[in-house]
Amino acid sequence: MNNHSQSKEKLGFVYKLFKAMQKNNLNYIYRGSFTENITDNILSLAETNLVKKDDPRMLRRKVYNVMVEGLQNITKHQAAIKVDDDKNYGVFVLKKENDKYYITTGNLIENEHIENLSAQIDQVNSLDKAGLSAYHKEVLLHGKISEKGGAGLGLIDMARKSGNKLLYAFEKLDEKYSYFYLHTEIPSKNAPKSSLNTKSSGILNYISALHKMLNDENVLIIFNSYFNQDSLMNLLSIIEKQMMESLQQKKRIYHSMVEMFQNIIQHGDDYQKTEEGKAGLFFISETEKEYLLNTGNYILNEKIPILSEKIDYVNSLSEEELEDFYNHRLLDFDIDTNKEAGLGIIDIRMKTDDNLEYYFLNIDDKYSFYSLRAKIIKN
Amino acid sequence: MEALHIEATEDTPKIYFEPEVDIYLIEGKSLPENAVDFYQPVFDWADKFFNSPETPSDVTIYFKLDYFNTASSKQIAKFLRIIENSAASENVTIRWFYDEEDTDMLKAGNRYNKLMNIRFEFEVNKD
Repeated sequence: MNNHSQSKEKLGFVYKLFKAMQKNNLNYIYRGSFTENITDNILSLAETNLVKKDDPRMLRRKVYNVMVEGLQNITKHQAAIKVDDDKNYGVFVLKKENDKYYITTGNLIENEHIENLSAQIDQVNSLDKAGLSAYHKEVLLHGKISEKGGAGLGLIDMARKSGNKLLYAFEKLDEKYSYFYLHTEIPSKNAPKSSLNTKSSGILNYISALHKMLNDENVLIIFNSYFNQDSLMNLLSIIEKQMMESLQQKKRIYHSMVEMFQNIIQHGDDYQKTEEGKAGLFFISETEKEYLLNTGNYILNEKIPILSEKIDYVNSLSEEELEDFYNHRLLDFDIDTNKEAGLGIIDIRMKTDDNLEYYFLNIDDKYSFYSLRAKIIKN
Repeated sequence: MEALHIEATEDTPKIYFEPEVDIYLIEGKSLPENAVDFYQPVFDWADKFFNSPETPSDVTIYFKLDYFNTASSKQIAKFLRIIENSAASENVTIRWFYDEEDTDMLKAGNRYNKLMNIRFEFEVNKD
């Protein structure tokens, strides 16, 4: 296979992922180790960006509460299992669709706990609002402690706050471990009464398939939403706290992310016009040796020739030539608007360790889906 | 002489140009969406300040940036160009700060040093 078709195949994944997430309107996925820092950041990202500011206060609070319980649920299970590799990475998914928020968590558990955990959730699901309150009180007062030490309070709380059933599934990994998926939905007051049925596991099949996709590609973080300065700033704060790399490397990841993100804000095209910004996908994945920064967004077909020419040109330059080209552009004050400084692509190439990979997937007469990938070698 | 004070935000730097106490400082992160708009007041200030008969005979500008995007890098070049072309260019020193491990920030300073006819000094940040 030649280089081009190889990269084409790899970058096809970007669109596949984008489509998979669009289909279910998934906004944000984090996959990895859940530290306190990271959960704090996910919560603040959700507060400032993912949860709509014009939603009723009550709904926002509910979403927040359910998120807290869900995230704590992951950290608790993560801590209980001493598997120190990416198999033990949990996954957190938040999405919003038609007045409803959907929260899904996934994490590794030992098979021996499946029975007990299922019984706990079934018990919670069997209760109505009054029953849940009574049960909550009973567990609080009499400390019916589960083996995990959580007293099942988290689950009771999730059910109470969401006002909905808890959907769950186990995906067997091997003789010892399974992935445990937990899902709930939080309808806004005006939304039609939720019809979440514990028997309908479509959403969980979907999440588990997506999770497998993320595991295969070793995706660490996905942001699929509108690209604007606010979402950039939030994602950056997560990256800053999440990446355990050297300062230099962290700065390079940060730097490249800013340029890739702002590139989409300024130059991406709206497939469907929205006020919030350009719809797109950003994700970071890793291999043993490198981090891969990926973006995907719609672009007008007419822009493709100039853009590919520019990336090809940048890829063809040696380090010295890149420096000269950068300096030339830096002092070219004819290209100087809020939209365009003419330096982004050059800079991304200079801050990363390999040629930039790109791919345009034709969507229709007017638009294509543009995937861009930059690599940063780990120390 | 006129001062210019702009408070830092999460994506724009603090600007503190204060002739009264002889401090000229740009500090923090610079990655605004609209870099041209953000830096316009800085250019306006510099145009006046460095082309005035009252410009101090010795001005040191502290660049203490820990991060800037490419859009800002062009605005910094424009700012330095204004100084370079001004009547007072020989009175000016740029003191460029960087973290010891941050070779990219040092490189960025070296680049401006090479491209501009202005005096540069480099200094490692102390924590």
